[in-house]
Amino acid sequence: MVNPQFIHLKVKRRSNPTAAPYWEEFKVPYQPNMNVVSVLMEIRKNPINAKGEKVDPVVWECNCLEEVCGACTMLINGVPRQSCSALTDKLLEQYGENNVITLEPLTKFPVIRDLMIDRQLMFDNLKKVKAWVPVDGSWAIGRGPRLADKVHQWAYPISRCMTCGCCMEACPNVNSKSKFIGPAAVAQVRLFNAHPIGAMHKDMRLEQLVKKGGIQECGNAQNCKRVCPKNINLTAHLAAMNRQTNGYGFRQFLMGDK
Amino acid sequence: MNREGDRVLSNKNNSNFMIRRLHSLIAVIPVGIFVCVHMLLNSSVFISGNESYLALINFMKTAPFVVILEVVVIAIPIIFHGLYGIYIVYLAKNNALKYTYYRNWAFYLQRITALIVLVFLIWHVWVLRLSTHEPQLVINTLAGLLHNPVTFALYIIGVVASMYHFANGLFTFCITWGICVGDRSQKVFATVAGAFFVLISLFAIAILVKISIMPLA
Ligand code: SF4
Ligand code: SF4
Ligand code: FES
Repeated sequence: MVNPQFIHLKVKRRSNPTAAPYWEEFKVPYQPNMNVVSVLMEIRKNPINAKGEKVDPVVWECNCLEEVCGACTMLINGVPRQSCSALTDKLLEQYGENNVITLEPLTKFPVIRDLMIDRQLMFDNLKKVKAWVPVDGSWAIGRGPRLADKVHQWAYPISRCMTCGCCMEACPNVNSKSKFIGPAAVAQVRLFNAHPIGAMHKDMRLEQLVKKGGIQECGNAQNCKRVCPKNINLTAHLAAMNRQTNGYGFRQFLMGDK
Repeated sequence: MNREGDRVLSNKNNSNFMIRRLHSLIAVIPVGIFVCVHMLLNSSVFISGNESYLALINFMKTAPFVVILEVVVIAIPIIFHGLYGIYIVYLAKNNALKYTYYRNWAFYLQRITALIVLVFLIWHVWVLRLSTHEPQLVINTLAGLLHNPVTFALYIIGVVASMYHFANGLFTFCITWGICVGDRSQKVFATVAGAFFVLISLFAIAILVKISIMPLA
């Protein structure tokens, strides 16, 4: 059982997107069963730093509070994860009661303020790869065929992706020098290409994955799979998409097949 | 807003997809195959040292169009793989100290060994192929290098780095080509690649040691 007096936080802050970052410490009175979001809420109620100075409350984002929206993602003790599901008792157990919990914004996305980042990139990439099943038309096309249970077994977990960006954060090939789309969108292509109606737009999705910044930029470091909070088997999906894009790429190369 | 580079896919079709795939393919065919043949030929020193080695090299030299083969099958693929590879090394922002997973280290080491192998190959090819040519001279030069502890150590480093780059590259090749997809096949093949690295490194070291203890001509 942990029972410290305070939860000691160290937050990497920044007052606007271009301002220089700085560290600020907080000591929040300990209560059992807190999570990082509720600790930040305590700071918002009473924004006094460890030195006793009144400061601007720490800015962060959250919505669902049950690890399904991805909005509250940040680096907690250097690990990209959701702050709503980061239980402080667990953190203190894991890192020791006297450990200072460090909070930093993700580094692969633009910081808006403090721990709040702009994940627009994730959604733009989903749009690029058409990560949906197009059913809107001028007449109803009815229900599509059902997925075989075997396909369903591996496809369903991909749909749990919450575009949180943890995989992008950990990937060495996602950085300012590369245009790599990252593993999350690649996995979504596998999901929607497996769907019987989604498959009608298979090639349009594959075309996006062989463009500049496509799947070829993956270097198999496999960090993405390790950090994904939804346990999505990204490395398997990347390999499967390698197979699909290779087929597509060569078909196109040999026959100019669009 | 300081968007850290615009990583949204571009619409222009100046994709490097085919180049990346070619980069992966030629490393195995023909370069990987060549490396295996190369080592097999070297291992002739185990038969009767200098003599069997010389006999084999002289025989190889009689193959028709050997120079053309050397350029087309060996030199051009290696130079392309090396030059484009430098660019790939540059592209990664390594984080092995932060994410200390085994595969992340393997990824980082693949890039470090890439640079070691590049330097080693330039030296190796210059000393034993371009500046010396005649088989007897080549083996004398090599034996000389391997009798000197410093150059012997450099050779071991260069050769082991090459074998690592080869074995780990075979593993990622299988992912890149969609051969190993599931967890199980990736795990099995990772073990196979690991064993391959150990065996081929020991084989290569044995050849180097054998030459280093052969009497100098
Ligand atoms: S794949 Fe996993 S880590 Fe990546 S965005 Fe989706 S949920 Fe997050
Ligand atoms: S396997 Fe590919 S996508 Fe995943 S972390 Fe490595 S390079 Fe990035
Ligand atoms: S608030 Fe939605 S994942 Fe944490």
